[in-house]
Amino acid sequence: MKKLYLLFFAISSFWACSSNSAPSNETENQMATASAIPEEASIVKVDDDIINDILQSIPSPLEISLLIKEVGSYYNKADLNDHNKVSSYSTNFDKALNLGIYGTDLGYSNIYNKNQDALNYLNSVQNLAEGLTIGQFFDYATLKSLAESADQNLDALLRTTTANFEKINYHLRQQKREHLSILLLTGGWVEALYLTTLVHQRTNNEVLREKIGEQKIVLDRILLVLEVYKTRNGFAELIADLKKLQAIYDQIEIETVYEEPTMVEKDGVLVVVDNTKSVVNITDRDIDTITSLTKSIRNKIIN
Amino acid sequence: MSEEILKALTQLFAIISKQDGGVTEGERDFVISFFKKELDAKTVEEYLTLYDKASDYGVKEVVLAEGDGGKQKTKKKLTNVKDSVRTLGLCRKINKTLNQKQKVVVLIKLLELLAADKSFTPQRMEIINTVATVFNVPAEEYKLIERFVIEEHSSKIDNEDILIFDDERPPEGSKIKYIDSGLLDGEIIFIRIKSVALYFTKYTGIDEIFLNGMPIKMGSILQFAPGSVFKTPKGAPLYYSDLVSRYNSDKQADRISFNVHDLEFRFPNGDIGLRNINISENTGQLIGIMGASGAGKTTLLNTLAGLEKPSKGKILINGYDIFLEKAKIEGVIGYVAQDDLLIEDLTVYQNLYYNAKLCFKDTPEEELDTKVINVLTSLGLDRIKDLKVGTVLNKKISGGQRKRLNIALELIREPAVMFVDEPTSGLSSRDSENVIDLLKELSLKGKLIFVVIHQPSSDIYKMFDKMFLMDTGGYPVFYGNPVEALVYFKKASGQVDSENGQCNTCGNVNPEQLFNIIESRIVDEYGEFTNKRKVAPSEWHKHFKEKFTLDRKDDFNEEPPKTLKIPNKVHQTIIFTIRDFLSKVSNTQYLVINLVEAPLLALLLALVIRYRGAHDDSYIYRHNDNIPAFILICILVALFMGLTVSAEEIIRDRKILKREKFLNLSKSSYLLSKVIILFSLSAIQTLSFVLIGNTILDIKGLNLMYWIVLFTVSCHANVLGLNISSAFNSAVTVYIIIPLLIIPQMVLSGLLFDFDKLNNSLSERGKVPFVADMMISRWAYEAIAVEQYKSNDYQKNIFEFEKRESQYNFKVAYWIPKMQELLTSSLSAYETGKNDSTIKIVEENLNIVKSEMAKDLYTVKFSEFPFDSVKNISAENFNDKVSSLIWYHLEDASNYYSINLAQASDAKDSVLYVMKKALPEGSDLADFKDHYYNDQLEDLMKNSSAEERIDIYKGKIIQIIDPIYQDVYYPDEPLNYRTQFLAPDKPFLGSSFNTFGFNISVIWLLTIALYATLYFDALPKIMEFIPSLTSKFPKKK
Repeated sequence: MKKLYLLFFAISSFWACSSNSAPSNETENQMATASAIPEEASIVKVDDDIINDILQSIPSPLEISLLIKEVGSYYNKADLNDHNKVSSYSTNFDKALNLGIYGTDLGYSNIYNKNQDALNYLNSVQNLAEGLTIGQFFDYATLKSLAESADQNLDALLRTTTANFEKINYHLRQQKREHLSILLLTGGWVEALYLTTLVHQRTNNEVLREKIGEQKIVLDRILLVLEVYKTRNGFAELIADLKKLQAIYDQIEIETVYEEPTMVEKDGVLVVVDNTKSVVNITDRDIDTITSLTKSIRNKIIN
Repeated sequence: MSEEILKALTQLFAIISKQDGGVTEGERDFVISFFKKELDAKTVEEYLTLYDKASDYGVKEVVLAEGDGGKQKTKKKLTNVKDSVRTLGLCRKINKTLNQKQKVVVLIKLLELLAADKSFTPQRMEIINTVATVFNVPAEEYKLIERFVIEEHSSKIDNEDILIFDDERPPEGSKIKYIDSGLLDGEIIFIRIKSVALYFTKYTGIDEIFLNGMPIKMGSILQFAPGSVFKTPKGAPLYYSDLVSRYNSDKQADRISFNVHDLEFRFPNGDIGLRNINISENTGQLIGIMGASGAGKTTLLNTLAGLEKPSKGKILINGYDIFLEKAKIEGVIGYVAQDDLLIEDLTVYQNLYYNAKLCFKDTPEEELDTKVINVLTSLGLDRIKDLKVGTVLNKKISGGQRKRLNIALELIREPAVMFVDEPTSGLSSRDSENVIDLLKELSLKGKLIFVVIHQPSSDIYKMFDKMFLMDTGGYPVFYGNPVEALVYFKKASGQVDSENGQCNTCGNVNPEQLFNIIESRIVDEYGEFTNKRKVAPSEWHKHFKEKFTLDRKDDFNEEPPKTLKIPNKVHQTIIFTIRDFLSKVSNTQYLVINLVEAPLLALLLALVIRYRGAHDDSYIYRHNDNIPAFILICILVALFMGLTVSAEEIIRDRKILKREKFLNLSKSSYLLSKVIILFSLSAIQTLSFVLIGNTILDIKGLNLMYWIVLFTVSCHANVLGLNISSAFNSAVTVYIIIPLLIIPQMVLSGLLFDFDKLNNSLSERGKVPFVADMMISRWAYEAIAVEQYKSNDYQKNIFEFEKRESQYNFKVAYWIPKMQELLTSSLSAYETGKNDSTIKIVEENLNIVKSEMAKDLYTVKFSEFPFDSVKNISAENFNDKVSSLIWYHLEDASNYYSINLAQASDAKDSVLYVMKKALPEGSDLADFKDHYYNDQLEDLMKNSSAEERIDIYKGKIIQIIDPIYQDVYYPDEPLNYRTQFLAPDKPFLGSSFNTFGFNISVIWLLTIALYATLYFDALPKIMEFIPSLTSKFPKKK
């Protein structure tokens, strides 16, 4: 009998141990302290709708990707982020930024019909989205079939991506996690700008040069939103980096040259064509600085 | 006798006989008759010449004729000195070759030479005295021998070593012992020579007396060897054993009576194994049991020893029934089985020592040591005491030595009654004789010994005091003096010379003859033996009953003496453990293999699966896809090692166990000692495995956790192995059984086959199937996997947040949409109209909705939702309104969970930033994660490859993703512990337990259960039951 008691004792002590750690007050406390994050809204009161408007107005990175392809540049895998790096992003901040980056890369490789790469990026995107608990808003099945199909269906691709992002934004806003939306957009934008500068470096294409210059407006808008969350972990550094870029962009002037609209007949219908053009005055040095700054910001994000 | 010795003897004879008047014819005749006994006719001449020459036979006559008295005297003196020197020389020569017994025989022969003519002159006596001194015969004893030879009548010698067999009692006050002979002329005098335990006899009368069927001459001195029998004309014969027991009667310490009354034994199948057995004995007897093979000798022995329960009759020791009053006779009975009961890896000394330690609890260490050494010395085993016993095949000590050691095991505790089963089987004739000699000696020291003996030699046969003969079918056919047995059967079968039990010239008996008579078969008309016996066993038995009446000895009504003092269970456990430990340690091969096995396997396994990801420059734990499989293999290795190390344990010890049960030693002590040893070994094995495996695979900070699980598994396997080894009778069977035990453990471990995708009758979605709950591997796997995922240095800080995140996310992303889907599908079902089939659909849907809402945290705790009214909703009153009520509630819930999700997510991020800051300069979180977190394990724990993430099964919504983050509670079922595989915590008795602790406890509980089955012999009993079932089968046919 004695030994039976002993064994019971041993087991009950196991249970004692295990029950200690069951529903923990400790984690509760931890959570309480951890969630004591300063309310961003208390610093700069920005209306949610305004933020949303800004977010909506930022163009999809896919457009830039399309532009690059039209310029006639070749596809270089090394230009994109390594899809294996997905595992090195731990915090939501990193995950969101890189989800943006991979989103751009996914579109880019897809436009070039690089199916294997597209699938790889799709996996990375999925991984990060799951990590951010927004996985359910990615329509992987559609994205996968798009990535796998040989014939181009750019409209569908654009539509799906846009829809996905809209859903995510909506969802994140509902959860009061708009800061992730802006990070996502920032990531996507930085990657797109990076690719543009890269290709511009190779081709010296005028359209691209102008496109780079035009990003001044986008950057201003992004920073406007980022500022709202500057007290959050990681934001300050990102803002500081982007502000350096903004400083360069501040030297660039965008002139709007107004010209009379003309009427043109198209397919038997009269259409008014807006002839107003914006002229971007940008020096080569500015371009170079932007190129190198973008590269450093982008590398900081992906590493 | 060698030529040299014979020559020496001849010369001694000569020297003695030529003294004081020279050789007489009588002396010469004695010498001649002595030579005739030892030599053939031709050589007798040769030796006689030698004798004559040495004794100056013939020469002396010349001297006498001269008649010169003075001259003669001086010559004689000279001769004397010369003869003395020669005598000494001869004696030394004899000393070198003859043993003490033989020397005593020689001494008596010399005295007998003088007795031939009764010329006991001082000169002659002096020479013999010298001889006795040189032969190292004690002076006292020599004097007695001398008197015995010289004196004509016993009345002149008053000594306790003298016994007379006569019709007249010795005078009152005499020390002489006496046995009544019936009417007899003169007397038969016996002398016991104590130092060598020999008996000599002489007869002083003129009646016709037979010793072993040979008439004896008056006055001649004869050795009364074991098995001898005196027959006088009138009285009862005198057997050797009677004589010896008479001699020993006064020193017997143990008063033991052994009475068997009408014993009958039936085998389990109903056949009779023994019938009508009656035995009655006192101490000091060596009783042989013989019989044709299958006659039931061993059955008889086992029944007498109390190992088998008789169906009828009783066995009484000092009046105590050995079956009913076990406590009274505890330790009185000793049993030496035919099998070896030795522990092969221990030395001779250790075998006996630990056996003794288990028998004597209070004896101090030194005394115990002396005791062991004494027994070993008395059995002639002292020189080999430090040799390992070894196996029968790998012999270290001889068969005879093994047998003697087996007897020593019993001997050391000095039981009053001993049963020995075929002690001579497989031994050389010399070893056989030694062993029986030993038993004989014990019986003479006052033990009662029963021996089953098979085909004994004449000498061995005669050593028995009594013989119990059995015939086929368990019939006793003879019980009495061994030599008489032959006479009896010869007579009964009408053979000639039936009076002679033994050969008249050589004194040999032929025990074979007994069975030739008993089993002799009828010859048919062609002269061929038929299978029919002349005399059936039952006839022999009838004959036996008619001829013999049992001399029933009285029961001593006192408690039999006992020396057995068994230590308490704790001490027994300690002794068993030490014994087992020493035995294992001394087996180098066993030890090395067991200690090297685990590290070697770990090395092999870890090196083979140390996979470097395609994009990694060096090995990174995080990217090793083999970790989930590694966990399974670890568990299987622990199971395997635990099983193999224990599966043979009890088989090997079974015989020893039987004997220890006989000694009433504690079974639980034995089992516990096994458990202690095996658990210790498992602890070492699993520790070395974990250390090496985890080091190579760079699994950090989890060694203790791994070790606890593997140790637990291994211990379980140990006890399982002990169960098997107690149930099956050969190692081969056991090793066939092992895969049968291991493979289900592999199949149902949870890793190889998805529990949700087993045979549908076994599996239940979202829960571990019951069959798997029987598997240790599943509990162990879950324990390691969950703990490794939850509690690694990276994850342990954020696990709780991730859990909340996952739970809220599941609600928002899957659960609420599913619920809403159920509502809409119900509504749309009603759009087609209310009928039986649609009502059924709606009812099913509503049941799910209601039961799910009852479990929903937000609904139950935080909302003001009128849940009670929802309970009353049925398919009958379900409509748009009700639907939208629930719908909006679900929307609220979604908001609630969303906000909580965001908070949990933020909180997790904050912790990660804190962790990041705590990291040393230059390393980031990703590096840290590389060392502590495994991606493949994450996939497993999150079940992220599942296509369906949510499902409806048996009226419930089942969460398929993120099992590791899914809490399960059964507030109303305290005994329900069932969860999905890889659950973070386990519900039980109203609270929630950490999976690791819970699973470990479950395994230990199962281990205890197995220990119980082991203790109560559950498996062996089942095993016995199975053949009894199948044996009934053909009978029905």
